[in-house]
Amino acid sequence: MLQGRVFAPWVLCAIALLLFPYVFQSNSAITIMNQMAITIVFALSYNMLLGQGGMLSFGHAVYMGLGGFMCIHLLNFVEYDEWWIPLPLLPLFGGLFGLLFALIIGFFSTRRAGTVFAMISLGIGELVAACSIIVVVFFGGEEGVSGDRTYGPTVLGFDFATQKEVYYLTAIWLLIAALGMYLFSRTPVGRMANAVRDNPERAEFLGYSQRAVRYYSFCVSGFFAGIAGGLFAINYEILTEENLNLATSGTILLVTFLGGVGHFVGPIIGAIVFTLLQTVLSLQTEIWQLYLGILFVVTVMFFPAGLAGLFAIHNGPLQQGKLMTLTVPYLKTVLPAIIGLLACAGLLEMLFHHRHAATGEHHMSLMGVEFAVNSVWPWLLLLVVAAVCFMIVRATAGDLRDAWQAANTPDTPAGTLAEDKRQAGGSA
Amino acid sequence: MSALQLTDVTKSFGKTEIIRGVNLAVKQGERHAIIGPNGAGKSTLFNLITGRFPLTSGTIALNGRDLKGLAPYQINRLGLSRSFQITNIFPRMSVFENVRCALLWTQGFRYSFRHLVARQRKLNDAADELLNSINLQSRRDIPAGLLSYAEQRTLEIGITIAGGAGVIMLDEPTAGMSASETEYVVNLIRDVTVGKTLIMVEHDMGVVFDLSDTISVLVYGEIIASDTPANVRANDRVQQAYLGAAIEAEH
Repeated sequence: MLQGRVFAPWVLCAIALLLFPYVFQSNSAITIMNQMAITIVFALSYNMLLGQGGMLSFGHAVYMGLGGFMCIHLLNFVEYDEWWIPLPLLPLFGGLFGLLFALIIGFFSTRRAGTVFAMISLGIGELVAACSIIVVVFFGGEEGVSGDRTYGPTVLGFDFATQKEVYYLTAIWLLIAALGMYLFSRTPVGRMANAVRDNPERAEFLGYSQRAVRYYSFCVSGFFAGIAGGLFAINYEILTEENLNLATSGTILLVTFLGGVGHFVGPIIGAIVFTLLQTVLSLQTEIWQLYLGILFVVTVMFFPAGLAGLFAIHNGPLQQGKLMTLTVPYLKTVLPAIIGLLACAGLLEMLFHHRHAATGEHHMSLMGVEFAVNSVWPWLLLLVVAAVCFMIVRATAGDLRDAWQAANTPDTPAGTLAEDKRQAGGSA
Repeated sequence: MSALQLTDVTKSFGKTEIIRGVNLAVKQGERHAIIGPNGAGKSTLFNLITGRFPLTSGTIALNGRDLKGLAPYQINRLGLSRSFQITNIFPRMSVFENVRCALLWTQGFRYSFRHLVARQRKLNDAADELLNSINLQSRRDIPAGLLSYAEQRTLEIGITIAGGAGVIMLDEPTAGMSASETEYVVNLIRDVTVGKTLIMVEHDMGVVFDLSDTISVLVYGEIIASDTPANVRANDRVQQAYLGAAIEAEH
């Protein structure tokens, strides 16, 4: 029975992955899903360090990038030297290459956690990114290295020329990697990674070397990051310096934190949301990175447990059977909040248009409405909408807080001290 | 052979000598208390024994084996386990997980990534059994950081004894507890350390005289007496240096 409960979500995910290409049929949708899958594997591997092991890394792109470069070279060996490597096995080699580098770098970087680890990861990240310009034979200089995935031996008749075939290859690797990382977190060394994160000294007095525990996590994380790199190589058939640099390392930190480091599914949610913002929002607005930055800051300040944490705190009301009592207070507060935020976004868009459009170009459209940006009325309208909405939010926030308290309090006053504390912690 | 043998142990921080030549022998199966005024170096002595700080000079032997240069985790594997003056648990993990992690090494899992902990019946049963013995079964699935203070201290004792170490060191196990909590913890310590060697630092004289077979008095980095409770109580030097004032404060 336990087994069923544990594996049911995985089976559901597998079925969903199987059906997605039939629901979202366009090529661009499949491209987005591939990108999501790669980001999910990368983010999950990053969370093995940050969430599970308590290691803040600023250089995780190194392991994905090196794995990816290795795979691109392997693709070229397949193409020109007729090496026999079936394409579906390629990410495995990427993983092994990531593992190799993690073995070397982790050997000295995992000696300490905290600031020392973060600084070393930053240094290594910068070092490898700099090497990518210098060691042209491996990294291809500024234009990177490209390859062609279709020259390998066909597998069951597939030559992976279409996006859909690549999607299924990526999806299968996503499942394998995610399941592997989940199972790792349930092994003795995976459990001790949490213990070392919480209290490294205590773990030492239980017989475990904190350094060894961190080193194992680091190596396994490097392996899965390398797999993500291999998937990237297959999907895009090109790797450049961008895959190794600090911006990419920073992005994966952002993705993981956005989703929530405290839950296994956090990085998955983060990767999905981030990829959607990156692909869909960037088509709608030029200042999408500004919104992303604001979202990140808001998450860090108000929801440090991330989006997954936002879901998780509703577990309490759900178990009390009081989730529905929150509906009306939520509508009263969250709806105006969303409208107010959209109005603010509208103001930002107008400001951006006003400053950056060609001289004399005063017409712009927001959500299908055309208007002149040099008139005062649209500014005034949005300002008033935003102000009114935020006043409503302020007025109703107290009710929401009360409703939240009520929804978290058991009907029978049998709540023990510890339970009360847990709820207080949950709503904080 | 003594369970723990300290010979001419000294420790200096810079020019300040905190431990000034300590000789101490703790017999197998003995309950040994170390008492002394604040700043006498009791916690430092604990940290020296458990490898948290390196020695300046002297030797420390556990069951006849020199501990020089060993890291805390290596000393732990030789059969010495400790608790801390400031509660030291894994706050974000459940109470059950705390205890289970404490069992992993001695159950032989080492750094395994072939086993799934949920499938190890012997491991999980042992963890539940230990939770029962420290009466925290009702708190099993709560994050340890949310337990009450006394419960956290109890959990820490549980973690300390879980690995089955032969030598248990407790640093002020009843600090900050109410009288009834103290009584409960003293009984718990007595129960769970049967057949083991216990070394503890404690300020509560009631606890010390109630629980220990031998008391060593540490004053300014030196052991001025190490004897049975009755003899220590009667010792003039101890009276002068420490105990008179401490017992007075008790009453």
